Amino acid sequence: MNKLSINDKSRWLVPLLICIFCSLTYWQTTLFETVPEILKRGTQPSDFPQMVLFLIAGLAMLILFKDNPKPIAKLEPKVLKTMGLLVGFTLLAEIDMFLGLGVFAASLSFLWGEKRVIALFLVGVLAPVIVFFFFDFIFEIRFPRGILTNIWYG
Amino acid sequence: MEDALLGLMALSDPYLLLLLVFATLGGVLIGALPGLNATTGVALLLPFTITMEPIPAIAVLTTIYCAATFAGAITAILINTPGTSASATTCLDGYPMAQRGEAGRALGMAAVSSTIGGIISVICLMLAAPLLSRAAYYFAPPEYFALTLFGLSMLATVGEGTAVKNILSGAFGVLLATVGIDLLTSIDRFTFGYNELSEGIGFVPVMIGVFGISELLVQASQLDVVRKQVIMKKIMLPSRADYKKVWKTILRSSGIGTFIGILPAEGATVASMIGYNEAKRWSKTPEEFGKGAIEGIAGSEAANNAATGGAMVPTLALGIPGSPTAAVILAGMMVHGLRPGPTMFTEQAEFAFAIFWSMMLVNVLFFFIGLYGAKYFARITFIPTQILWPIVFIFSIVGAYALDQSMFDVWIAIGFGFIGFMMRRHGYSVVPMAIGLILGGMLETRFGQSMIMLDEQWWMMVTRPLTAFFLILTALALFGPMVWKKLFTQRDLKNATGSRSDSAFKKNSGE
Repeated sequence: MNKLSINDKSRWLVPLLICIFCSLTYWQTTLFETVPEILKRGTQPSDFPQMVLFLIAGLAMLILFKDNPKPIAKLEPKVLKTMGLLVGFTLLAEIDMFLGLGVFAASLSFLWGEKRVIALFLVGVLAPVIVFFFFDFIFEIRFPRGILTNIWYG
Repeated sequence: MEDALLGLMALSDPYLLLLLVFATLGGVLIGALPGLNATTGVALLLPFTITMEPIPAIAVLTTIYCAATFAGAITAILINTPGTSASATTCLDGYPMAQRGEAGRALGMAAVSSTIGGIISVICLMLAAPLLSRAAYYFAPPEYFALTLFGLSMLATVGEGTAVKNILSGAFGVLLATVGIDLLTSIDRFTFGYNELSEGIGFVPVMIGVFGISELLVQASQLDVVRKQVIMKKIMLPSRADYKKVWKTILRSSGIGTFIGILPAEGATVASMIGYNEAKRWSKTPEEFGKGAIEGIAGSEAANNAATGGAMVPTLALGIPGSPTAAVILAGMMVHGLRPGPTMFTEQAEFAFAIFWSMMLVNVLFFFIGLYGAKYFARITFIPTQILWPIVFIFSIVGAYALDQSMFDVWIAIGFGFIGFMMRRHGYSVVPMAIGLILGGMLETRFGQSMIMLDEQWWMMVTRPLTAFFLILTALALFGPMVWKKLFTQRDLKNATGSRSDSAFKKNSGE
């Protein structure tokens, strides 16, 4: 068995987070409504999730003591910025989904090194417009109303 | 026989044939693009099938599956980057061959062995799936529960994580499947007041998140990868000498691939690895492997394409996915209101056979596309990441939204994109989670039904022979590798200690 080093953050952090998640979720299962004993057939709604949670917590403990964690490289700035853009998209999509998509796509392309205006126009404007009309005409999908989609929907 | 003919007739629709040609081209394109694979491709394109009838919709998805699995070989041979993980072993011999000016020969062999492997596996699928479903027709809930559990236990070996991490990831998927109204008691669970969650977490947004959006974040850390293409003069069919050298390998790998594919959750990647290793083991010139052996390409490619047909056997006959991509196709079937399982061959036999024939057709189609279009598809790999992935993201988001026309699904997709990325970063494969999500509902329902049937005496399950059989298989799948490892380690240790004692004895005795 590998020796457990308390200073080895990568070893215990993830199993610990999993155990915290299991505890919180288990607590949630205790809030489920229950079927009266007289009407109960088989299991209560909380039984199965609780069994799975015990399994997950047990496996997390096994990982804690048995696993050989590999060093994990720090997240690169570009990955962090991409994550930030994703969060930005979720906010902008509240105003208009396609505005969010266009801004995200162009920003991502720029962030990843694309400097040509024509390429940024392609991914930021042309691609969302083509996808919008493709889904609108072919699949008759109604997208959520927003400042841009309202121009088409009226 | 009648059903097989009806299925063939359904496929004679010109619209469907045209659709399959486009789907083959799309599948080859997806497989040729590093970062996109069959599973991601099927998950991203699933929303495009929502307005289609079930037969064309599922035929398109299976076509993409087969074509993308083949196309991984194109980039594996020409730029030493497997388009799909199933083609990783093709790189080992394909790229060295390409470097010495034999790219055309290598691609020709990949196309031929893929086609033969694919066709053999579809024939097996046509024969085995109805038989298996006939046997499964007599399954009661305890047998189904044990079978599903066995399917989940096979997750231990899929993906890139360790066995324990894979099972944990699968269990997380099963937990996610408990979100929504409990089918047996109609009580809400983990819905937190959101109506959108009462029917559970949608398969499609989760698939798009864990396979598509998480890959976007992975790509963000791989922007510096430089790809260099080997020049290919022309593609050529293998010579008679090549066929003489590889025919046994192709047949063996086709058998291996089909068998591995039939095993729940095991897909083309495992099949290609075993196919390659067996090709090396049986070869008269194993020393050539890794340096450009044509048998290596045949062994790997025949096996990974044979696994596609094999994987569809448990998917259609039992409703248990035979591979990660088959799991997404299974989700697609559920979206289209189909119920894969034993009843499929009695109630929807025409549908099942139409899928078989479409898989047969795609194997022939990608042979020609592979032979004549590989040169052009290889160029597609040079689409800059900074152009390709923003467009993939647009499709991912619109696809996640399109199915239920709900922004909630978009948030689910993005949320699972983050979760999937963090899981992959810490060595937890997302494939078991996706399969766990799909099988979780079935597992719980069958468990609940078994409890009712056995009057809450769960231990009675082991008294049923078939249930006990599947439970033993589950235990073997989970603990077998550990026990073997321990046994072999002890034996090796004993041998080592034995030899040490011998030498010590010799030393002491002055010999």
